[in-house]
Order: sequence, then C-alpha cells, then structure tokens
Amino acid sequence: MRKLHRAALLCVAAAVSLTACAAGSGEQAGRSGPAAAPGKDDKFSLTVWSNYSGREQDEVTKALESFKAKFPNAEIRHEGSQDDDKITAGIRGGNPPDVAMSFTTDNIGQFCSSGSFQELKPYVERDGVDLGQIPDAVRSYTEYKGNRCAMPLLSDVYGLYYNKDMLAEAGISAPPKTTAELLDFAKRTTKKAADGSIEVAGFLPTMLFYANRPPIWAPNFGAKWETPDGKSGLASPEWAGMLEFQKELVDFYGYDNLERFRAGLGQEYSTDHAFHQKKIAMMIDGEYRTAFLEDQAPDVRFGTAPFPTSKPELYGIGFTTGTIMGIPKGAKNPGAAWELIKHLSFDTDTIVDLANGIKNIPSTKAALADPRLEVDENFKTFVDLATSGKLQGNPVTPIGDAHIKAIGDFATSWQAGAVPDLMAGLREVDRQIDDRIAKSGK
Amino acid sequence: MTATLERVDVARTAPAKGRSRARARHRLTVLAFLAPAILGFALFFAYPLVATIGFSFTEYDLINPPEWIGWENYAFMFSDKLFLTAVYNTLWFVVVLTVARVVFALGVASVIARLKSGVGLVRTLCYLPSLAPPVAATLVFFLVLRPNEGPLDALLGWFGVEGPLWFADPVWAKPGIAAVVLWVSGDLMIIILAAILDVPQEQYEAAELDGAGAVRRWWHVTLPTISPVLTFGVVNSIILALQLFTQAVVAGSAASGSADVTGSTKVLGFPENSTLTFPVWLYTQGFRYFDMGYAAAMATVLFVVSFAATALLVQRMRRASHQEAS
Amino acid sequence: MTAVGAARPVGVTRPVRWRKGLDWVAVHSLGLALGLMFTLPIVFVFLTAVMSDSQAFTKDLWPREWHWGNFVEVFDKAPLVKYLGNSMLYSLSATAGMLVSSVPAAYALAKLRWRGRNVAFLLVVGAMMLPPQVVAVPLYDTWSGLGLTGTLWPLIAPYFLFDAFSIFLLRQFILTIPQSYVDAARVDGCGEFQALVRVVVPMARPGIAATALFCFLYTWNDYFGPLLYTSEKPDRWTLSLALSSFKGMHHVQWNLAMAVTLLIMVPAVVLFAFAQRSFVRGITFTGVKG
Repeated sequence: MRKLHRAALLCVAAAVSLTACAAGSGEQAGRSGPAAAPGKDDKFSLTVWSNYSGREQDEVTKALESFKAKFPNAEIRHEGSQDDDKITAGIRGGNPPDVAMSFTTDNIGQFCSSGSFQELKPYVERDGVDLGQIPDAVRSYTEYKGNRCAMPLLSDVYGLYYNKDMLAEAGISAPPKTTAELLDFAKRTTKKAADGSIEVAGFLPTMLFYANRPPIWAPNFGAKWETPDGKSGLASPEWAGMLEFQKELVDFYGYDNLERFRAGLGQEYSTDHAFHQKKIAMMIDGEYRTAFLEDQAPDVRFGTAPFPTSKPELYGIGFTTGTIMGIPKGAKNPGAAWELIKHLSFDTDTIVDLANGIKNIPSTKAALADPRLEVDENFKTFVDLATSGKLQGNPVTPIGDAHIKAIGDFATSWQAGAVPDLMAGLREVDRQIDDRIAKSGK
Repeated sequence: MTATLERVDVARTAPAKGRSRARARHRLTVLAFLAPAILGFALFFAYPLVATIGFSFTEYDLINPPEWIGWENYAFMFSDKLFLTAVYNTLWFVVVLTVARVVFALGVASVIARLKSGVGLVRTLCYLPSLAPPVAATLVFFLVLRPNEGPLDALLGWFGVEGPLWFADPVWAKPGIAAVVLWVSGDLMIIILAAILDVPQEQYEAAELDGAGAVRRWWHVTLPTISPVLTFGVVNSIILALQLFTQAVVAGSAASGSADVTGSTKVLGFPENSTLTFPVWLYTQGFRYFDMGYAAAMATVLFVVSFAATALLVQRMRRASHQEAS
Repeated sequence: MTAVGAARPVGVTRPVRWRKGLDWVAVHSLGLALGLMFTLPIVFVFLTAVMSDSQAFTKDLWPREWHWGNFVEVFDKAPLVKYLGNSMLYSLSATAGMLVSSVPAAYALAKLRWRGRNVAFLLVVGAMMLPPQVVAVPLYDTWSGLGLTGTLWPLIAPYFLFDAFSIFLLRQFILTIPQSYVDAARVDGCGEFQALVRVVVPMARPGIAATALFCFLYTWNDYFGPLLYTSEKPDRWTLSLALSSFKGMHHVQWNLAMAVTLLIMVPAVVLFAFAQRSFVRGITFTGVKG
C-alpha cells in the first residue's frame, strides 16, 4: 500500500512537471561530439534491447558476447521482445538501453528526426569508419536526410519463389524474368475446379497478403516513392504499371473467386502457408522462407530467383530491409555503445556467424563474400541479389509507415475495382502523404 | 443545501456548538470515505481529460517537449481520409449495434420469459459466451465464420447457399464483428429478462380481461413498463460501439493471414480499412505513429460524443427517478 | 415439465387448451434453439481443441482422434503459467483494491448526506461511460514518465483509488438497504465506519460479491489495458493478451489456440457456477434506473 501511494504522488509530480520530464536527461552525447570510447580493459556494462525472441534471441546474444574479445571486462545484458513502443517509452522515461535494435525500418525517419536515436556521424568520422562497406540500399534505410542515426544488423532480401514441379507440369522450364512472363506463367500454372473456383493459383496478386506489399513490389517495377523535388511521387507511369499488372491478374482470376480462394489460405508463418500447401506456384518472399520451407515442407521442391521486372534491363533488382540499431537519447554509456554497434555492423566473423544462425543476409560486402557463409543454391539467389548493388530499401519518412499504408490501402481498393481513375487516385494518395508529412513539420 | 446536512445526522436537540462540531466531524467522515475516490478521480480522469484537451493543441511525439500548434490537429482531421473512414465505421457500429443488440436481447429475453420450465438452464446457456474474453470470442467467430470450410458455411452449404467471406470481405467484416458482439451480449439479455419478470402480473391480467392477445400484451404492457431498462440498453450499446477496439483488431489481424502480432499497422483495419474503428485509428496514431497530439485531438472528439451519450442517460435516469418519486 | 393446460384448468375450453399446448411447444423449441445457438460455437471450440494439428484448420467438425494432450501441450508451447500468474495478479489485486476503495465511496454516495452528492454521482456515471481511449494518451505519458510501463502497476493502481463502474454498482445495491437499518446502527452509537462495517457490508454481501465478480471478469478479459502497457514486455503479458499473440509466436496451431481459449474461460465459468445468483442479481442491477 505504501508503495502505491508513493506511485500516486509521483504521478502528481509527473503531471506537474510534464514538460520538464519530457525534455528528459542525457544530452551529454548528442550533437556536442562523440563520447570517448572505453579503454580496452575497462569494466563497463551495456544494456541491449531487441525484438528477438526464442532461438533467434540466443543467437543474437552469442553475437553480442563476441564483443568481449575486444573488451574482456564488458558485461552485456540482452533483453528480447522489445518493440519500438518500448524503446520510445524507455527514452521518454529517461531509462533507455545503451543500444536499441528495431525490427522494422518503418520508424527510422521518426527516430532520426525526433532525436530519439543519437547522431552517429561524429563517431563515424572520428573512427574513420568506411560506410562503403555497407551496400547502398542498406545504407539508405539506416539514415534520414543525411542524418545517420542507425547502423544495420543483417538484412532481408526479397525474391521469387517457385514450385519446380508445378512449373514443370505446365511445361515451363525456367522461372519468369519479366512481369509479362510472370503473368503468362501464372495463368498457365493456375488450376480451376469445374465450378470455376480456384484450386491452385499460379501467382497470388492480392495486395497486402503475405509479402505482397507495395514497398516489396515497387523496385521491380521501377516505381519510385519520391519525385526529384522530394514530394510523394506515386502518380507515375511506373506505379500505374505495377497496379495494372496486378489488376490484370486479379481480373484473370475474377475478384470474387480470388477473394474466396485467399480467405481459405493459412497464415504467413504457419505450416498452412499456401506455398507450403502447394496452393500457389510462385510468390515473392524474403530469404528467411528458405529455412521455413526446408523445415516445415520438405516435400515442396522449390527454386528461387530474382523477382521478375517490368523492364528486362531492371532484372536483378529487389527490395531489402533489415534490423537497425542505434544509441537512444539518454543512453548511459554512448561511447561504449558505439563500440558495440561498430562491432556488430562491421566484424565479419560475428556477422557471418549470426547470418548462419538466423538465416539472414549479411549487411557488409566483406561478410557477403566470406567463404564461411553457408550458402545453398536457393539462398545464393539472395546473397547474389545483396551483392548486386541494385537493391532498394524502404522509403524513409518522418511519418512512420503511414505512406506505405496509404498506397497499400489504395492498391486494395484498386484490385477490388473500386477506383475508376487510376492516375487521379494515385494523385490523391500523393496528396494525403504530402499533407501528413507537412503536418509532421519535419 | 446546508439544511440537508443538519436535518440528517445531527441530533435535533443538540446545542448550536455541538451541532457545528458534529457537522465538522461528519464532513471529515464523508471526506475520509471518499478520499481515495477523489484522488483517483482527479488522477485518472480529471487530470488526463484536461491533459488530453491540452495535448490536442500540440505536436507531441513523447520524446520532444510538446509544441503548441493551435487548431492544426483538428483541421487535419478533414484531410485525413482514414479519419473519415474511422468515423464512418464507428458510426456504423453505433447504429447497427445499438439497434441489433437491444432488439436481439429483448427478443431472447422475451422468449426466455415465456418459458415455463428450463428458464435457469437457457439463461445460463445464453450467458455463457459472455464469459469469454473478447479476444477469444473473436477468434472463435473467425473459425466459425471461416469461408468455404467453417461450420457456418458448411451449414449454409446444405441449403445450397454460398456463405459470404465474413472477415475477409469489406462488406461483411463489420456484420461479422457485430455477430461477435451479439453473441456476448448475455448481460443485456439478463437485465431485460429481469425487468420483464418484474412487470406486475396484475397488469397482464387486466390487459387479458380487456381481450388483449399475447402480442398486444407484450406491446402494450411489457414494453412500456421496461422502457427505462431499454433506454439503458441503448446508451450502454452506444458507449460499447464507440469503444469498439479489441474485436476489430483481432478480426483484422486473424483474417489478413498475417502473423504480425496484433496492433501492427500492416493489418489494422483489414480488409480495406472496413474494421478501422475510431479507437483503432486513435491507437494507431498515438502509439504506432507517435503522433500523440493528433491522437489527443481524436480522443477529445470521442469524449465530446460519449459525453453527449452519457448526458442522455443521466437525463433519462433523472426523469425515471422523478417519476418514481411522484 | 408440467403441462400448461394443467396450470389454469378453470374455465378453459378445449380449443384454447390445445392452442396453449401448441404455444408451449413453440416457445420451448425456440428457447432450446436459442440455447443451442449460443452454445454451439463453444462446442465447436471444444471439438477443435481436441483435434490433431493437421485436422484443426480443415472442414472436419468431429475429431478423428481425441487429443486430450493438447490441453497439456499448450503449457509447453507458451509460458502459460507465467501469463496465468500475471492475469491472477492483475485481477485479484484489482478486485481487492476496488473493494477497499469503492465500498466506502459507494456508501458515502448512497447513505450519507452531503453537499454535492448528486454532482459527485453524476461524475461517477460520467467516468463510467468514458471510453478508456480518451484518457489513454496522458495516462500513458505519465506512466512512461515514471518508468512503469512494462509493468502491471498502471493496470492495478487505479483500482486502489477509483473504479467508477464498481462504485456505481455498489451504490445501487446499498441504496436498496432500508435507511432504518443504518439509522438504527447510528442510534446505537455506531460511527459511520462501524455502521458500514457492521450493518451495510453484511447486508450488501451479495452485491459486493457481484461487484467483485464483475471486476474480476473485466480485468481477466481486459485487452486494451495490457496491450497498451505490457505488450512490449512478454514477461508481464496476461492470458488475454497472450491469446491474441499466440498465433504469432508459434505458427498458428488452431487446436492449441482453442485449447487456450477454453482454459482462459475456466476461472470465469467456475466463478459463475459458484455464484450464479449474485452474478445474475449484479447484472440486473446495472440496468436499474438510478
């Protein structure tokens, strides 16, 4: 009881000094220059928050422990299952971790522009770190408007998965390379029942289902998020082309038919996944699916390839995203935190071990080329994509993923046939996104 | 007003000095009884309510100090397409749920009230689903209403009817959620049932002597007598519909086929934002996009609306108690 | 199961009796149909819960084999005991706190006369009707400022001070206690506190029980609160929140998810079975006019 009343009193105090609280502590590093690195034998402890859990968390902990090779007296506490809300709450409460890992790149613009994550540029310059080691796309999703506030920890790369048996059955010997081919192959591998309902869909065009998300598709259609002058640039021939491709396939199946088929499919990370169940012949997905398929559906004979592109010259392009890490505002030991981040981002052995452990793509060129990286035929597709230099990351804005949601929503009403004028609709989405960015004032 | 105080608890013959001391003691007693409640009300309602209104005029991301921006958040509502979608969805629930819930509960209660045997059993069976957490109830319906393969579609199939896609279809997702809410509205049923059973038997007998049949007795005797309870049902349903959050979030997440933990912006409102209710969009703005100012502005709007509903209830309650007194 | 015809034998002619019999059959089959309608989904949940993993998401309604082990297996799949502990901690502390804070407040609103009582009551009704989302932003802001998000404190603490619904309900119960009993206690020289403890609390026991049950049920089933304050900290998840994430954590196994659904309902059903009368009375009281 006594404890409780204290909490209540604290409440009042907090309410009164709201703004004081919000201003928070820990301006020590921030813009004023980098905090000194710890000495080699210094005793210090670091808290790391990540959103990993279970087996993956153990692997990441192992990677964190390898830091002790450089700083034998460091102590690292790794807390899993911490999402972006928790990170924000920690910063807000003046009790953040030293290193925060975020699973999505959605909030990076927010983290950088609000100062939630400290600027890393001073450290990069002081230590002469070669950012060229990091593939361009990965570099782009770890900074916002030139403010580098995060570093990458492995990445995900998206490509085409195809069921070899189903393609062969339809007389197709190689995976599609252009979206026109994809369209053709999708039609040929589709099987319909006597009553017209779908039994097998060659390629599922339903937006926002499984990995069918606009940012993941966009690079292969050459679609860009921004106009050269920094406005939302969705009203472009490329975006329209992507949506028309999608619509053509939807119309081939018949929207109602397709919806009925899709509604019966299993969830994305379950053994009921349509690809595992041989209900779809081709799909777009990340490299991690190879591990799922080998584990849960060993009878599915599948191959991987770069996802087809609208223009042949684009082939080999793809979408990438990944885990990011930063030093939150108010971190107790930013100097040491930077050393840990540097270690995880650039130490080849650590990256390779972790990539092998959780089946993700390494995020430095050296690690990608490392012979110890376990690469089978299907995984190789993604490693090759990552080294191609043609990948594209998430568009970074200060409005979370509101822009991604806006175009996703638009694509779903478009596929339902509810959009009469495609370009006008896209211009309207542009306006919404620009309005929201203007409102955020950053 | 002080007269009330004296009249009640102070001995009538007490001398003036004792009276004022007793009054002071009485005040202290009242205060002691109410102290936690007053503190709690101030901390968890009064302060946050004022703060919400205050925040609604600011740009606030939880990290940097709030920044005063005037009416901007409110103005933005009109260009935020999803705000309007959320308003529409919630209004849909307010209208449909209020009517459906009261009519449904009244219907079920009327049937149970006419049972001669097995009242307790049927009442228990009808109430049982209400014990399920909303999350569980929604998942249950997700399975029961599963297109093609769920039991309801199987049942409809026997009659040669092809069932709708329910949670996967923007047209049917809201009715699906409404079905979940109706399934767990056992409490309203029991309230209405009790009110029906409370209707004095003589009134029925009088009506019967006048030659009124069962339907007319129900219309002319039962309904008017239990109308205060129906008013409660209406207001309670409005409030419930305004708050609708859990069922919408869980249904959208389950039907989208995504394994994302609920609350992810990727699946909120699925399909096609048809389940994006006002509280869901408010939550997304505040706790996913960290736009606390805008979320607070939305909360203020929600407050004004629910305040109006509450005022309606209070007014009715007052009128009812006046009638009782007279 | 007495025939209706026998209930009112006097002056009832044959055709009327026959019609009444038909009426009886109609009403009772309707009642039975309603009972089934409400119960069948639960039966379906049960049948799914004992299916094998491969059968659970299919067209089958009847389990090919009865996998009773599913009810045990769920405890291996997720730290249910931990979630159960959190749920218990939340629900029991909240209920205890509610009783400590709300009974005296309800008594003051029902049986003490003081200036502003009506206004206070209206404020309680207003707070009861307020959607929790309205005050969520500043409260979250405050709790996170205190570093208490990710704990159960923001959920439990308010109950030790103020729970509008409980105060409202208790007041309705206490109002039904005749004033004369309270006055008699006062005449006997009891202070208000003793009048409350010795007279009102024993007499309002069914009402207090019902209110406690409601409080328990509400917190047990609460989703928004735990989602807001504990979602980032799985160590503090309650069962209700865990259920919604169950599929995310371990590739959706619907049979297990349904087994958990049934397990979550057990405490509520047990409570309901033991206290059905208080419960029904309590539900009834919420609807009674002020």
